[in-house]
Amino acid sequence: MKANIILKKIAFYIIIVAVWQAISMTNVWPSNIFPSPYEVGEDLAYTAADGSLFFGIGTSILRLLVGLAIAIGGGIVLGIFMARVEVVNQTIGSLVLGLQSIPSVAWVPLGILWFGLTDAGIIFVTAIGAIFAVTINTYTGVKNINPHFIEAARNMGAKGTQLVTSVLIPAAFPYMISGFKQGWAFAWRGVIGAELLFSFLGLGFLLNVGRQLNDVSQVIAIMLVIMIIGVVIDGVIFKRLEDKVMSRWGLR
Amino acid sequence: MTKLEAKNIVKYFKHDSHQLKALGGVNLEIDDGEFVCLVGPSGCGKSTFLRIVAGLETPDEGQILFDGKPVTATGPERIMVFQEGALFPWLRVQDNVEFGLKMAGIPKEERSQISKRYLDMMQLTKFANSYTYQLSTGMKQRVAIARALVMDPDVLLMDEPFAALDAQTRDLLLVEMQLIWEKTKKTILFVTHNVSEATVLGTKVAVFSNRPSKIKKLIPINYKRPRLAEDENLLPLQQDILSELRPEVKKG
Ligand SMILES: Nc1ncnc2c1ncn2[C@@H]1O[C@H](COP(=O)(O)OP(=O)(O)O)[C@@H](O)[C@H]1O
Ligand SMILES: [Mg+2]
Repeated sequence: MKANIILKKIAFYIIIVAVWQAISMTNVWPSNIFPSPYEVGEDLAYTAADGSLFFGIGTSILRLLVGLAIAIGGGIVLGIFMARVEVVNQTIGSLVLGLQSIPSVAWVPLGILWFGLTDAGIIFVTAIGAIFAVTINTYTGVKNINPHFIEAARNMGAKGTQLVTSVLIPAAFPYMISGFKQGWAFAWRGVIGAELLFSFLGLGFLLNVGRQLNDVSQVIAIMLVIMIIGVVIDGVIFKRLEDKVMSRWGLR
Repeated sequence: MTKLEAKNIVKYFKHDSHQLKALGGVNLEIDDGEFVCLVGPSGCGKSTFLRIVAGLETPDEGQILFDGKPVTATGPERIMVFQEGALFPWLRVQDNVEFGLKMAGIPKEERSQISKRYLDMMQLTKFANSYTYQLSTGMKQRVAIARALVMDPDVLLMDEPFAALDAQTRDLLLVEMQLIWEKTKKTILFVTHNVSEATVLGTKVAVFSNRPSKIKKLIPINYKRPRLAEDENLLPLQQDILSELRPEVKKG
């Protein structure tokens, strides 16, 4: 990034924090309703010092990773079947489109009823919220493979799972990455939403605790953490992966 | 000895409401080690014919005999080189070249020994670790040819492999192609729309008629090698071919 753009960004955030501080100093709202950035920072430092913040982050991220792994694995298999077997597309394909329109948190009641207030329930909500985005993007990716790739591979003796792992998946990978990226975003929303409602450890749980204690600065502090984790995973992991794949596949 | 025999190959394609008769009974007999160039008006079915020989498409009537046995599927003894190469962008040059060997389960050590030979032959050694997006169009075609040769097929099927090359690169590859053919003694079917290319490469030139196409004329080319594109002694032959071709192009 250009230094110029970075400077603009830094200036913008300094202004935001300054305005926030200025509003809180007018005392229009009491500080337990509208805490100052300093108080939020203090709260963050406090939850960090007693370890509860990192335990919360660790718990949420672990659930995210397990849920996302299930979603990616399942979504790839489902997407490939939909793309390669017409009857699967005509039947399951239409169901997938319908299921994708259900927001992750709407799966929470089912998660609780099926798995109880457990990790498995939260992971279920996370995975199911993400799987259809992976499925649909994998499907699109496989459908868009240059048919000569598949023909050349078959001609050179690739068949069955060999064809899938050495041609279909890598050839569809640029699309699949978009699926992972969307899937991750759904999964992150899903895990926090589920934790909030399950109220069983994790960052969502800390949010809920903040609400129950009327601790607005904790709520804001945790929200900031959720946002920062989101930005980092998006901007660092996925952006790099995407850049690398796009240039390797000769797409830019 | 006859290597390949096309017996009355007929192929229809569905086009919305009507059936298009692309191939109207193609007969061709090719001896072992021949280099046969196929020329014909655009859209007459040259690619289709090649794909049928490769086993990527099935004829509606007639059959292809390979060593006297009917062709029913693709096989490593008949390898296709696509116009744009159809190289896998997710693999390095060497891995592209080794693809067929890997599919055949040949161990890594042995694979790299074999691929080394062909990378050398195609002057690609320096590019073994490059990705395809880093290569010029000419280099890509070399990789595509190396990838096919590695399979040690009896028959190479080449569909306008030099069509996208600039004149200089093409002239270079025209000479190399003759050397490869002399060195490897492959039977080659080579589709081109370039009459001079056909006379430089072929031991025979097969001229396709317009749709529904047949082979209108088989012109033998007996001239010393390596032949150069600018050799004026080839001009009369090119005139012969053009005079066969012109009325067909006009019909189209
Ligand atoms: N998969 C297909 N579906 C429908 N029509 C096809 C298909 N493949 C080829 N054709 C038609 O068959 C004819 C021959 O095509 P092709 O073999 O590609 O010709 P050439 O290689 O000689 O230019 C063309 O008219 C083309 O439109
Ligand atoms: Mg063609």
